[in-house]
Amino acid sequence: MAMAPEPTPYRKPGFFKRLRTGNLSDAQLGTLLLLPALLTLAAVMLYPMLTVAWQSLHFNRLNQPFRGTPFIGLDNFRRMLWGEGLIWSPTHLLVVRVVGLALLAPLLLAVRRRWLSRLSGVVLAALLVLLSVYVLGFHPGPDGSWSDPRFWNSFSITLLIIVVSVVGSFAMGLPLALLANVESRLRWLGRVALLLPWAMPRVFAGLTFAWLFQDRYGVVNDVLRHLGIQGPLWLARVTPAIAAVNVTIVWKTSSFVGLILLAGLQSIDASLYEAAVVDGANAWQRFTRITLPLLRPSIAVALIFRSLTAIQTFDIPFAMTRGGPGRSLETLGVYIYNTTLALNIGYAAALSVILFVISLVVTLVYLRWIYAE
Amino acid sequence: MTRAPGTTSKRRVGYVFVRLGLLLMVLNGLFPAVWLLLTSFKTENELTRIPITYLPHHFTLHNYVDVFTQNPFARFLLNSAVVSLVATLVTVLFASLAGYALARLRLRFRRPVLTAIVMTSMFPALVMLVPLYRLFVGVDVPGLTQLFAYLHAMGWGFMPTRVMTPNLLNTYWALIIPYVALSLPITTLILTSFFQLIPDDLEAAATVDGTTRVGALFRIVAPLSAPGMVTAGIIAFVNSWNEFLLALTFNTATTMRTVPVGITLYQGEFAFPWAVISAAVTLGIVPLVVLILSFQQRIISGLTAGGVKG
Repeated sequence: MAMAPEPTPYRKPGFFKRLRTGNLSDAQLGTLLLLPALLTLAAVMLYPMLTVAWQSLHFNRLNQPFRGTPFIGLDNFRRMLWGEGLIWSPTHLLVVRVVGLALLAPLLLAVRRRWLSRLSGVVLAALLVLLSVYVLGFHPGPDGSWSDPRFWNSFSITLLIIVVSVVGSFAMGLPLALLANVESRLRWLGRVALLLPWAMPRVFAGLTFAWLFQDRYGVVNDVLRHLGIQGPLWLARVTPAIAAVNVTIVWKTSSFVGLILLAGLQSIDASLYEAAVVDGANAWQRFTRITLPLLRPSIAVALIFRSLTAIQTFDIPFAMTRGGPGRSLETLGVYIYNTTLALNIGYAAALSVILFVISLVVTLVYLRWIYAE
Repeated sequence: MTRAPGTTSKRRVGYVFVRLGLLLMVLNGLFPAVWLLLTSFKTENELTRIPITYLPHHFTLHNYVDVFTQNPFARFLLNSAVVSLVATLVTVLFASLAGYALARLRLRFRRPVLTAIVMTSMFPALVMLVPLYRLFVGVDVPGLTQLFAYLHAMGWGFMPTRVMTPNLLNTYWALIIPYVALSLPITTLILTSFFQLIPDDLEAAATVDGTTRVGALFRIVAPLSAPGMVTAGIIAFVNSWNEFLLALTFNTATTMRTVPVGITLYQGEFAFPWAVISAAVTLGIVPLVVLILSFQQRIISGLTAGGVKG
């Protein structure tokens, strides 16, 4: 007589069995789903970042392999940030004070009006003062020089581009967003006009504007000629080139700011405006009391992403003038690229670290500011 | 019909202002592209004439022929299309999986992981240039080379060989992999916000009906969040289509160049053949214009629902 088979003891089903039947715990399934994204980011972002940080502490010139790649500590950074015969200049200090006052006054106003918390006001003010003192007041004396004047040149041009293009893209992006939000039969056309600069490759924007700003056959100088003005050699002289590149960057990036702000505008409840109209608020009051405060999150997002991309500015100056004329438009990004092309890998890594540190500081300040609210 | 005269005129003034603003906006957004288009129809002779002409006097399509004969522009378009499409698909897939986990599972490290992913958008592509180049040239697979050396030393008949990762330079992968990583942060953010909007009940009902969690993800959640995926996909596509620096550095063979890099080949050392460059740039923008015209509402509403929660 056949024996009844012995009951098998309960065994937890294997991983793949549980995956197929959907019996994984949240933590297991979550890890599984996050894995592809996290692995990609680790390989392409984290690994290079760590390598760069390590490289920045080494001497490494690929065109001088006989010198090896010795560990040199912070020497790359000293060469970058330091110089000989550094002094404080009184005239620059005066400039600092004037600039500081001009920037601190609106900050004070902002704190008084409670657009900013007191803490973030203090942080921003301290940062402003530090930055302007360091950039403007601390420099080599008559007999001294920076160890790497090219770095300071690229640093200041990057700062200029950050300030001008962030302010400019907001000054242009907000009206664009408001206009694109107006109900009209031609709204789609406005939206296409808003989307096209956003979608256009930065290199193409650079080339297009280089053609518009061309000194003999460009449209800009032709319009100026009709107005009776002799237009400058836009891309061959320093000041006009800086202006032209900034105009291009503002044109290209204001549409991104406009898009983010438009998205914010659309999520504002229309009934708020109706209530305000009933209460007798005029258009300006509706704008400052409803639109702007409710747009704050969008403004913050746009500000962060815009500043970060401004710090990394590369494509547009590169496409328009290759960082020229001379090296006047060599942003930090272009400088890193040129240093890499010169095969000075260690120094390029150190520059990259500085770029990253600037991004980090900016992000932290913004985040602090957002969370403080 | 009688109206309060004050309000009518005021409203009309406002209307005129808005119309004027819209006109300026359209002019601002489209003029550079239109000017490029006009330039591409002019002959090189006409371009170097003073006073400059606004509309082409001698309409010509010769520049477009030149674009394709001087360089393998069709190949550039193909490269861009393949790289961008594959990168977009992979990005959307990875971002959906991650976004689903971050939005709908009870995970302890939900917020830090999301913050970390978004923070990686701080890494400039420029910084990754040299390390990625080295990675793509090929690096030793950790451990394997040493293993073969060890086996050889033990006299087990193995030759000591360096086991390297493949050389990815001048292949599509050298661009697809970094492009996925560059687009992942923003798309994950958008999709996470999207998944949070879908009611839990739907998924619970599907699970009761006998579908697994993963099945529910693909059958219930994915279709409902299709709009978010389209938005994320468009952003990833535009990012990939526009990227310049990595494409310039990694794919140096002429036949492997993408459109933005390929266009720089038309510039001479000192001369800028603007007519041909305009034609090439126009052709490079066409796919983006098509994308915008067909999806403009989708992009904006997608950003509204997802992008601005961060």
